[in-house]
Amino acid sequence: MKSRISALMDGELDARELHEPLSALGEEGDARETWRTYHLISDALRGGAILSANCAPRVAQRLAREPALVAPMPPAIQPPQRARWFVPSALAASVAAVAFVGWVALVPQQGAGPAPLAQAPQAERAKEPARLPLTSAAQDYLIAHQAFSPRNSLQGMAPYVRSVSDQAVARKP
Amino acid sequence: MSRVAGAMLLWAAAGLAQAQAAPEALDWLRKIYQATEKLSYTGTFVYQQGERTETSRITRRADASGGMERLEVLDGPPREVVRTRDEIRCYLPDSRTVKVDRRRDQRAFPALLPAQASVLMEHYSITMDETARIAGFDCQAIVLAPRDELRYGYKLWADVKTGMLLKARAFNRAGESVEQFTFTQLEIGDVPRERLRPRPAARGWRVEQYAVAPANLAEAGWSVHADLPGFRKVVEIRRMLRHAQPVDQVVYSDGLAAISVFIEPIAGRTEPPRIGLATMGAVNVYTREVANHLVTVVGEAPAASVQRVGNRVEFRRPQ
Repeated sequence: MKSRISALMDGELDARELHEPLSALGEEGDARETWRTYHLISDALRGGAILSANCAPRVAQRLAREPALVAPMPPAIQPPQRARWFVPSALAASVAAVAFVGWVALVPQQGAGPAPLAQAPQAERAKEPARLPLTSAAQDYLIAHQAFSPRNSLQGMAPYVRSVSDQAVARKP
Repeated sequence: MSRVAGAMLLWAAAGLAQAQAAPEALDWLRKIYQATEKLSYTGTFVYQQGERTETSRITRRADASGGMERLEVLDGPPREVVRTRDEIRCYLPDSRTVKVDRRRDQRAFPALLPAQASVLMEHYSITMDETARIAGFDCQAIVLAPRDELRYGYKLWADVKTGMLLKARAFNRAGESVEQFTFTQLEIGDVPRERLRPRPAARGWRVEQYAVAPANLAEAGWSVHADLPGFRKVVEIRRMLRHAQPVDQVVYSDGLAAISVFIEPIAGRTEPPRIGLATMGAVNVYTREVANHLVTVVGEAPAASVQRVGNRVEFRRPQ
């Protein structure tokens, strides 16, 4: 399989021989690891900036942490088509792969919700406070707050279930 | 009457660049408000937040003196909340405590007045949605989608005949549900008075009164601002919580969600303050320390909004 992947990268396989290595690359496994390693070797030989072997998941993670783009995606960015795999340039394939990762990471974040008109300032997002369990001390605040909630006018007493929640009592410090 | 009000709303809406709502959807909102005030009923509902669900029974008796309402949590320790015209009593068997909150106004938010509706429309787009059958009732769904990410959106399902709210869901910017109330059984109609009597004997339980007095935080050196478009100050009071030192409370609301800021001295507290963010369904609680005081912001709003309000609190010793 390794030699076939090498041949695939060099554009030396003909149409009939493509199916097997491509389907192997379709799943995470040895074939894909070989594909990545060969590209790394190829990049190193060309003297390009070296990316570490496991950069793909980290790029995806970083993208996931970035705030979602509000602008619609330009139509030019498409998932790489199968034809791209025939391009005999390792570099072109890597670029396509990175574009694909970007596309996958960004698209789900568009979500079903309405596009925001006002964004919270970036500085506020950066300061993530510690997550705490709700303590029994918070119960007094929840009861005192609930009396002024407009939800009472829509739902009557139902929202008070939050104020007397078992969760708050159970996690006494 | 509602048609006249509807026409006024349309006129008000015309003046607002962004505001638009189906007048029919606003009529539905008004119908829900009126049902909450006028109907007598008893039913069982499920409260869902995250992975947790909790079942409760709610009983309401409407009458000329403001009615009575009783909420019993059916899962876990049998907690109860009973509301009369003048007060709200929370029965907490775990700590053998009754917490009593005096009611100052009959309703902090009377039925949607045109002015309130136009404020609502500035920050939510209000539209009709599907019809659905819930707990045997044919319901109309109404969606209040926020126009920014500072507040949650709401989807409400109301009984077509009476306007009674059968289901309510709060959702975040991604459209994911943050909490949901759903009736699984409901009977609308007269309720005998006995059904509203609190069950716990509560003999020998500690009674904590949330005594309330007017307050002026600015005079005391505090600078508190909602800093969120559409949120206006509703009330500024000083109250006693837990028989300890007085706690100041300022409440802001955009007509649908409310955010409270509590300020109390740290010195009088028995336990060390815990700084950070806690969540209960659509409610976020953000705690921080300012000038030897504990600032706690409680709001039915996304964590970022609640934090923003908390981070704006400042103290300057009055001259």
